[in-house]
Amino acid sequence: MADDRELLIGAVAYSANVVPIWEGIRDYFADGPAPMDFVLFSNYERQVEALFDGHIDIAWNTNVAWVRTLRRSGGTARALASRDTDLVFTTVMVGRAGSGLAGLEALRGQRVALGSRDSGQARILPLHYLREAGIAEGDVELVIFDSDVGKHGDTGRSDLDALRAVIDGDAEVAAVGVNTWDSLRAGGDAATADLEVVWESEHYSHCNFTALETLSSERAGPWVDHLMAMSWDDPDHRRILELEGLQQWTPARLEGYASLEAAMTEQHISDHW
Amino acid sequence: MGWAGETMAFDLTLRLIETVLPAAAGTSVVVTVDGADDLPVVKRWVEATGNTILLVHPDSVEIFRGRITDPIEALAPDRRPGYRLWIYTNFHCNLACDYCCVSSSPTARRRIVDVESFAQIVDESVGAGVSELYLTGGEPFLLVDLDERLRIATAALPTTVLTNAMVWQGERLRRLEALPREGLTLQISLDSSTPELHDRHRGAGSFERALAGVRTAIDLGFRIRLAATLGSDAASAETELVALFDDLGLDESQRVIRRVAQQGSANAGLTVSRASLVPEVCITADGVWWHPVAAADPAMQVSDDWSPIGKAIEDVRQEYRNHRIASDVLASTFPCA
Repeated sequence: MADDRELLIGAVAYSANVVPIWEGIRDYFADGPAPMDFVLFSNYERQVEALFDGHIDIAWNTNVAWVRTLRRSGGTARALASRDTDLVFTTVMVGRAGSGLAGLEALRGQRVALGSRDSGQARILPLHYLREAGIAEGDVELVIFDSDVGKHGDTGRSDLDALRAVIDGDAEVAAVGVNTWDSLRAGGDAATADLEVVWESEHYSHCNFTALETLSSERAGPWVDHLMAMSWDDPDHRRILELEGLQQWTPARLEGYASLEAAMTEQHISDHW
Repeated sequence: MGWAGETMAFDLTLRLIETVLPAAAGTSVVVTVDGADDLPVVKRWVEATGNTILLVHPDSVEIFRGRITDPIEALAPDRRPGYRLWIYTNFHCNLACDYCCVSSSPTARRRIVDVESFAQIVDESVGAGVSELYLTGGEPFLLVDLDERLRIATAALPTTVLTNAMVWQGERLRRLEALPREGLTLQISLDSSTPELHDRHRGAGSFERALAGVRTAIDLGFRIRLAATLGSDAASAETELVALFDDLGLDESQRVIRRVAQQGSANAGLTVSRASLVPEVCITADGVWWHPVAAADPAMQVSDDWSPIGKAIEDVRQEYRNHRIASDVLASTFPCA
């Protein structure tokens, strides 16, 4: 017998924009082959628990939440889709223009501002990159901002606090997600004009729609197909896509999570919260 | 107010409710107004509903959804604009350092703050709540009568004077010897622990003379602070400098290591602007400046007139608030991951 229950999607309420985003997505799906509703969580850990408890069918997860889900599921969790922007995510190290700093090696002896402990882009991966570059703990002075724990860096708050430390002279560089940096630059923030990127990471993957193997492909398939059919050229779709920060939904790029998996292993970050 | 006026005020209040209340906390919205007459209504409503006016335009008001913590209060007390007041006593100098942030040299336009003006600056500073004075230049001790200014300053507030410590001979030495020790710190420029780097930027022989000046100041019982300005060629100098500071018995409050800013004579260095520098109010003979590191940059001049100093400080504080609040509002509009 066909299972025609509407799919329940979980998302984290990182800002007030989340409501219009998900209401828009729900409206888009309402007339299609796979109606859905959504539930908002206050943090990603609660959302991952709800996915395992069967309260939601699909979770819109950060990269950190994805790795946790993948590990807890014994490798059986599936990444159904990502934004195009999730496939080319990077971390940038930003310093004051004219500092002469270039590359990770130049950071030895400097103060490096990092974001929240559960932020892949602003904390976990930067520490991994420093370690990869042979910069040991103690070779740099870390200035930590645990400003938005639970949101995995989604709010950008800790990125901004780290950048503020550079502006205020409390750190030489800040590690931030490229989305935060691009948004600041696009917004014409005057202080940002005096900052520059001193290093940028390789691309890695960020968010994806995560499902457990218990979600049948009969239920997930039509939903993913309809998601992929959202078009930048359709003004109604575009409004939602712009709010969510993408132009096109796309299959997830799983190899893009390898660096984060390595980082979480070496930093002994728990699969639970 | 007649019926027409009441209707207009009601329309405005409706517009405020419709525009401001649905906005997310931390964002800003623009509400159209019908000139300055609408402002009292907007101010009353915004205050009563827990929101904040950001900017007032002729035909609109930008309103922040929620209350804003004063960015000044978020700073450590000794970093708040107006805690410390900088005074450029003069701009001419016996040296012509290649990184000087205000292009001082023996031939620089002198821009001397005379003793009478200086006394007024100090008097107004006390009234404006300033907690300490920093005198700089140029080389302040090239002014033979600098001691008069230092007596006025130290009688009012804890005072630091920046110097290259190279001109204390003859009459200048005698006047130095007679200065009060209480409330006075001599901040001496020393860029490295050996002559090579210091002399490269400040001139041949300047290291030995500065070090002799350091010893003179210590022998005379002055409290000193050593300050190094490091360029991109000084990466390894910092460790050796710290060792020198240790040898001289200087505590953390007596040592400063900073980077060259791209200002004045420096053709490289940190980029700074009003938006990216926490201000330290600075007075020169030409007016008020955002920060002493940029007291010759027209873009960093706040006003032509330094009096009243209390207003100058408040103007700088308000501009800083506006920068910070605008940055935070921008931040809250980020599309997220």
